[in-house]
Amino acid sequence: MENRKIYNRMMILRKEKGISRVELAERIGVNFQTIGYLEREEYNPSLDLAFRIAEVFELPVDVIFSTNPFQSISQILKERSMEEER
Amino acid sequence: MKTTQSMTSIRLGVLLSMLSLIAIVVLFELGIRLEWIALMLIIEIPLLLTLLISFILSFMRTGLWKFTHKPIKDLDERELELASKSLRTAYSLFAILVLCILLVIAVFNIAVSIILAVSLIFLAHLMPGIVIAFTEKSLRF
Repeated sequence: MENRKIYNRMMILRKEKGISRVELAERIGVNFQTIGYLEREEYNPSLDLAFRIAEVFELPVDVIFSTNPFQSISQILKERSMEEER
Repeated sequence: MKTTQSMTSIRLGVLLSMLSLIAIVVLFELGIRLEWIALMLIIEIPLLLTLLISFILSFMRTGLWKFTHKPIKDLDERELELASKSLRTAYSLFAILVLCILLVIAVFNIAVSIILAVSLIFLAHLMPGIVIAFTEKSLRF
C-alpha cells in the first residue's frame, strides 16, 4: 500500500514555542534527526508519535497534521483581512 | 547541492570498499592457485589500505556502521523502519550472492579459503550500510 503524504505545522509550532529540535526530540522520545525528517515531511509519524507531538504542542492532532497541504501564514492573513474588509 | 555532493562521495567510498574487498578475495584465490605469492602480497597491501581508508571514510565517519549495528531499543520508529528496510534488501542480495558463490564452488570443486569466509562475514555486516548509502537521499543519523 502506497502511503499518503502527511503535511504538518511542526516547524512553525516548534519555533512559536521556542524549543529546539533536540528538546522536542527528547520530549517525544525520538532521535533529533527524526524531527528534521518530520518537519521536512519526509517521514509520516505513527499515530502514537503524532499524539505525543500533539501533547507537547497542546493542540489537537488534526491542527498539526493533515493529508492536505496547509495554507501559508500569508494566505491566512490575506484571507482574514479580506473578510474583515467585508 | 552540498548533500548531493556528499552523497556522491559516500557512494563512491562505499563502492571502493566493495571493489577492494572483491579484489582482495579474487587476488588471494588466484595467487594461491597460480603460486604468485610475492606478487599477491605486494598488491594485497595497497588493496587492504584502500579498503581500510574507504571503510573509515564512508562507513565510520558517516555513522553508517554505527547505525546498522545499533541495538533495536536505541532506534526510534523512523530508524527502525529504515533499518528493517535495509536489512531486508541486504539479506536478499547477500543470500543470492552466497548461493552463487556456493554454486561456483560446487561446480568447480573449489576449496573455501579463510579469506573468502572472512570477507563474506565482513560483507554481511557491510550490506545494510551499502543498501542505505545507495537508496537514501541523505544520511542523517
